[in-house]
Amino acid sequence: MDSSQVGRTKAGSQDHVSPWTISLVAILICLVVPPIFYLLKTSVYTTEADGSFGVFTLENYTSLFESGHTLEDLVNSLIFAFGSAVLAISGGLLQAWIVERTDAPLRQYVFLVSIISLGIPHVLYTGAWLLILGRNGPLNLLLMALTGSNQPVFDVYSMTGMILIEGMLWMPLAFLLMGNVFRNMDGAFEDAAMMSGASLLQTLRRVTLPLSTPGLLALFLLIFIRAFEAFDIPALIGGVGDVMVLSTQIFASIRKELPSNFGQAGSFSMVLMCIVVFLLWVQRRILARGDKFQTVTGKGYRPRIKQLGRWRFFATGLLGLITVLLLVLPLGMIALISLVPFYDGLSEAMLSRISASNYILAANNPHFRTAVFNTLLYAFGTATFVALMTTGSAWMSARRMRGSLLLEQLTSAPLAFPAIVLGVAFMQTFLNMPFAIYGTLISLVIASTVQYLPYGMRFSHSAAMQIHRELEEAGASAGATRFQIFSRIVLPLLMPVVLMSWLFVVLLCVRGVALPILLAGPNSQVVSVMLYDLWVNGQVNELAAFGIIWSALMIGIGVCLYMLSRKTGVRL
Amino acid sequence: MRNIILAATLSISALVGLSNAQAVEVKDLNQLQGAERERILVEGARKEGKVVMYSAMIENQALRPLKEAFQKKYPFIEAEFWRADTRDLINKALAEARARNMVVDVVEGGGVSEALLRANALEPFKLPGSARLPAAMIDPKGFWVATRVSYFGMGYNTKLVPENEVPKTYQDLLDPKWKGRMAWTAEAETGSATMFISFIRGYMGEAKAEDYLRELGKQDIANITASPREVVNKVMAGEYAIALNVFLHHPIISAKQGAQVSSQPMDPILGNASVMVLAKGAPHPHAALLLMDYLISPEGQAVIQKADYFPADPTLEIEPSVARIVPSKNGMNMYFLSEEELFKSRAKSIDLQKKYFRRR
Repeated sequence: MDSSQVGRTKAGSQDHVSPWTISLVAILICLVVPPIFYLLKTSVYTTEADGSFGVFTLENYTSLFESGHTLEDLVNSLIFAFGSAVLAISGGLLQAWIVERTDAPLRQYVFLVSIISLGIPHVLYTGAWLLILGRNGPLNLLLMALTGSNQPVFDVYSMTGMILIEGMLWMPLAFLLMGNVFRNMDGAFEDAAMMSGASLLQTLRRVTLPLSTPGLLALFLLIFIRAFEAFDIPALIGGVGDVMVLSTQIFASIRKELPSNFGQAGSFSMVLMCIVVFLLWVQRRILARGDKFQTVTGKGYRPRIKQLGRWRFFATGLLGLITVLLLVLPLGMIALISLVPFYDGLSEAMLSRISASNYILAANNPHFRTAVFNTLLYAFGTATFVALMTTGSAWMSARRMRGSLLLEQLTSAPLAFPAIVLGVAFMQTFLNMPFAIYGTLISLVIASTVQYLPYGMRFSHSAAMQIHRELEEAGASAGATRFQIFSRIVLPLLMPVVLMSWLFVVLLCVRGVALPILLAGPNSQVVSVMLYDLWVNGQVNELAAFGIIWSALMIGIGVCLYMLSRKTGVRL
Repeated sequence: MRNIILAATLSISALVGLSNAQAVEVKDLNQLQGAERERILVEGARKEGKVVMYSAMIENQALRPLKEAFQKKYPFIEAEFWRADTRDLINKALAEARARNMVVDVVEGGGVSEALLRANALEPFKLPGSARLPAAMIDPKGFWVATRVSYFGMGYNTKLVPENEVPKTYQDLLDPKWKGRMAWTAEAETGSATMFISFIRGYMGEAKAEDYLRELGKQDIANITASPREVVNKVMAGEYAIALNVFLHHPIISAKQGAQVSSQPMDPILGNASVMVLAKGAPHPHAALLLMDYLISPEGQAVIQKADYFPADPTLEIEPSVARIVPSKNGMNMYFLSEEELFKSRAKSIDLQKKYFRRR
């Protein structure tokens, strides 16, 4: 069907709910509602020995509040989420500002660094940091030499360790999203401030940061929520140090019974969902006066670059330091252990054992090749669906069209699901379908599309918020239909962001473990699960070799996109 | 809408019909013997063309060579193997059973049988080859047969623990000098703290066991959240001196590669078998029985042994380097933790673990 035809017949009927909105809402309902339904049901039923629903109960909720540790766990969760979000955003903000607003040399490469570090699988990244910061790692050896202590000085298995690693995991995302906000902001305000005699820092504090509030707040909420419900880092690090957060406590309750009892996980997620709904409501209230933040106008809006003078080398130094922390150190550590049969601390003896045997193992593994192919197919598919669905939703939501509130809620709802619970919910949904879909790559794509909708939405929404109405009004008064306005005016303006969100979702898919581990079948194995298995089995050195090859592939993809973006003029 | 209802009705009736037909079929197959059994199984498997196994065996070490060897013997059967840990194996098989959409035929791993049995998700089966195995390796009710055995004990870093100080008994572990220097896995099913506690309770009896565990709890054992293999790695890396309740052959394998690590069996040695079960309503029952035949056949057991596991068949010769950790070869006793005992003691052992080995 010629889609512009549909748009034309609806021209001028701005008060009606457009068929586009209706179909988008319908698709989203089909995607988002079944897992929510299943989750709710899980939380209020007992689990039978065969894993099926037993009788109605509220015990999953009451036990949550009766446990003496729930409050302590909640406080730990809040500290962890807050710390991680603050660390990630401080780092991301600093990088974004230097890259977008200053003339620091080499700054354009930060984007590449972020993409590459986003491409490193979680397991590999965490494993590397645990070795670097571990009891017998280089940091502790250094600290022990400095302090003369014979015991490890820094304990990575602590809240500090958890926040450090989780924060660093999210820093590239913070940079990508903040860069986006800065880029789309009207530089005229900052230029005006500078011309009125404000210093660089004053401009940053009084103009740049306040103007980026919606983006900053959305980003903060995103990372806060993800860290709040994160499971992997708290389990791998906090589990050892007995720093329990809500998600790990829930995992312990799932683990207590065989087969797993997901009832408690269900009640936890329902509580979490309420918290998130509240946070989203707060966010909406704050952003209610959207006009305040519409800074992308019909005027030329590329902001002016600040001349930092001698300080520009300092700025580059800062970027370099962050790059070392985010990329060079962990990748270096992984590269090192990929070359030895086992790791027993940095030593001379280690050098004598260096060989390529782990790489030969990896190269000769046919499963790895299949997994790479599956992973790329899965990631590209998911990213494309997410981009298709969120671009339109974000614009409608930013313009407060009829039904947009529903769209926004539907695309944000998956935020409330910890990935592991979403995986369980979707597993049940697929198993109950009358056709065979469970265990296929398609099932993985559907579930991940839902999982990453909020990310696509955050990207597109903050960008759509900044597009001033006047551009569309100009289009409308020239006789364009709503669809034409979207496709000819809004979409081209959003395109860089759509491309970026696509790329970002690809990288998220590539490193997610929790969903594929539950949904992938024997014929749809993906790399992240394969790496996770190697970790669980303690084959860390083989894992490192696989990881290096995989990361190299990701670097390749990153470089391709980077070059493509320069060639087409679409700035990433 | 009408189409959806139609499709749903069709598929439900197809599934119900299918599972009924198969329940009868496996019962019939169990009656068969000798050459006739072989002929009917091969004939049926040829039509099925496929078999699916979920297993806890490590993919590249064991599952791939097993797949290759099995497919070489039966080129008309495509073997699909998927690896996961015990808990995921159980959850996945149960989810399929509940949705009457069985993908899996055979589930293999430590501790998989009891949970599935209670959920009524298993089909009893008979394998002629199981006659060669010791009694403890076969379920008298016919729901499982063991594929491999594991022995658990202590691993230690030879640089951090001098030869003359190596703990030799379970009591030696209570020596204050090991405080804060030992680690075990808190999360896995086999080789975990939970399993160790179940073993101590079974071996010492509840009262003595709790006294022992209380004392051991004062040693501040680090709770690693990965596999027992990873605990050995951490000991090799020098993060801890002693790994508790790990697979005894893991340190030996690493020591061969030059790592400063060794294993120390303690009397009695904790032994545990991994078993295979047949899913009720398995979509490929003929091929499944052929696969299970193969896994306990001398050829199949040899592949498993080559993958660094101990075969369930005790007649296979054990490599001299690992003989010192095998109870029948080193003069030590074995405490065999059965599937049933492991499952029954689980909940209380987790409580005790929380009480004595978690800081809060």
